[in-house]
Amino acid sequence: MDRTASSGGRRRRARGSGFVRYWIKEWSSWLLVVPSVLFFLFFSWEPLLRGIYLSFFETRGFEPVRFIGLQNYVDVVSHSVFWQILRNTFVYVFWSLVLGFFVPIAVAILVNEMRWLQSFFRVSAYFPSMVPGIAAAMLWMFLFEPSEHGLVNMALGLLGIAPLGWLQDSSLTIVTIVLTMTWRGFGAIMLLFLANLQSINNELYEAAAIDGASIRHKLAHIMLPHISPLIGLTLILQISGVFQIFNEPLVLTEGGPNNASMTLQLQSYFYAFRYFEAGRSVALGVITFLILMVITLVFFRLQKKVSD
Amino acid sequence: MSKPNSPRLISDLELRQRPVKLLYGMLFLLMIAVTLICLLPPIWIIISSFKDLKEFYQVPPTLIPRTFQLDKLARTWQEFSFMQYYMNTMLVTLGTLFFTVTFNGLAGYFFSKLKPKGSALLFVLVLWTILLPNTVGLVPLYSNLVDFPILHLNLTNTYWPLWFMAAANPVTILIFKNFFDAIPDSLLEAAHIDGSTKMGIFFRIIVPLSGPVIVTVIILAVNGVWNDFFWPFMLLKEQHMWTVIVAIYNLKTSLPQDIQFIGLTFAIVPPVLLFIVFQRYIMQGATLSGSVKG
Repeated sequence: MDRTASSGGRRRRARGSGFVRYWIKEWSSWLLVVPSVLFFLFFSWEPLLRGIYLSFFETRGFEPVRFIGLQNYVDVVSHSVFWQILRNTFVYVFWSLVLGFFVPIAVAILVNEMRWLQSFFRVSAYFPSMVPGIAAAMLWMFLFEPSEHGLVNMALGLLGIAPLGWLQDSSLTIVTIVLTMTWRGFGAIMLLFLANLQSINNELYEAAAIDGASIRHKLAHIMLPHISPLIGLTLILQISGVFQIFNEPLVLTEGGPNNASMTLQLQSYFYAFRYFEAGRSVALGVITFLILMVITLVFFRLQKKVSD
Repeated sequence: MSKPNSPRLISDLELRQRPVKLLYGMLFLLMIAVTLICLLPPIWIIISSFKDLKEFYQVPPTLIPRTFQLDKLARTWQEFSFMQYYMNTMLVTLGTLFFTVTFNGLAGYFFSKLKPKGSALLFVLVLWTILLPNTVGLVPLYSNLVDFPILHLNLTNTYWPLWFMAAANPVTILIFKNFFDAIPDSLLEAAHIDGSTKMGIFFRIIVPLSGPVIVTVIILAVNGVWNDFFWPFMLLKEQHMWTVIVAIYNLKTSLPQDIQFIGLTFAIVPPVLLFIVFQRYIMQGATLSGSVKG
């Protein structure tokens, strides 16, 4: 590592450096990050730690009043809605993998192949990401209106499909939410894949073509291996994103109908700000947190095994 | 327009074969379909907000409006004081920009160039903030903002918390750090010998060299503010403090649908204009922040 500008001229004196000497030299560096450290402390680190602490207490308002051990956790887990939410989460994960994970990769490959209007296609695919999240959710709420009023149902009607209930239909509500999230979110991931695809050395394709490789071979043996690290990364981001879904169900369904689209994060919010059970809210947060940590660790373990 | 040498699966030579040509045609149509799905919904909302009342509620809805009422937009703008929400959003944006660039920039400088002993530990803590899911801190953070520790201030219905949170943005710190890493140390050393302080070096050497990264960060921040919902929604309870996004969400239940469409239009148009003007920077920024997270 390079020596920094400040220490460059002082190498001679650095030998006898004690605590005092360190601070004489570095106090002005640390002073520059004092505000940042305070911001992180109050808005990020302290709330996290106090959240964990709070989850072991009975709460009044946001204050702990009595230590009750794991009672909040027991209450949260034994509530029937918890199992419904876990089931929902799996359904969310499933559809996020089918749609949210697959769509950006497919579109990136598609855009990359285009010889004509390529930059227009690229810009258009990113366009939905510019629509603010809440606005996008409201927009799709109008489009997914049940009965033949809704534009989506109207379009399906042209194909001869009867109008669907979408958000009001408990078996479709999660798919519909994931669809709207994918619509808004895929552009940014698509750009990552596109940049990645364009960094492939063209000579590999040319050499493969000379050896008589088909398009399918080039896809399987050159393209996919090249983008597979990024695929792994987006996979884990996609899954960890699912556990934090909040805005869309809040705007579109409020978790309904009958909790059919309730998410961990939304329920945690409801516990805190609708039922005023701060302790249970943070307990659910900690549970979500632990599930996510386990998934992430397992993923990195697997990834290491694959790359070794 | 396309570069002849960009790496593609289907080579020019293969494209001459008939079945490949057919496949390519299908892919092109698919791409058109994707484009339409991306562009049409917001465009339809925007043009529908110009329809008159009768056409708006017509079943089935018209795709291309036959009526065009500009004054309805003007009336809604007036009546629901969107000017106020725009000004509020602007104010949030300005403060956010100041806090984002100054404090994340200084932190990036600290981690990239100053690097005193012990800073690596702090850097790990900052990185963890990106990785750790924010599911636990919500409630305690809210209670901090209602009654700020030590000072006992109630920060709801002010923009301070939004600005402060922008100052602790690990992704932006990483973007700054990565950029500063490429600035040669010899430049800073020269300034140091000339007697500049660390702060002086930051403002006189680093900042003037950092035009591109500052532009990227600004664009990401502007877009972030325009999108931001949760904390503005939680904190800005008084109507005269609402940002545009909070306004369209809060007005959702009380307004007829045609007015909601107009509100949506007001929320969608500014970022779209921003995108049309700065699309290159915005897409660069998106790629950058995405790759930083990875």
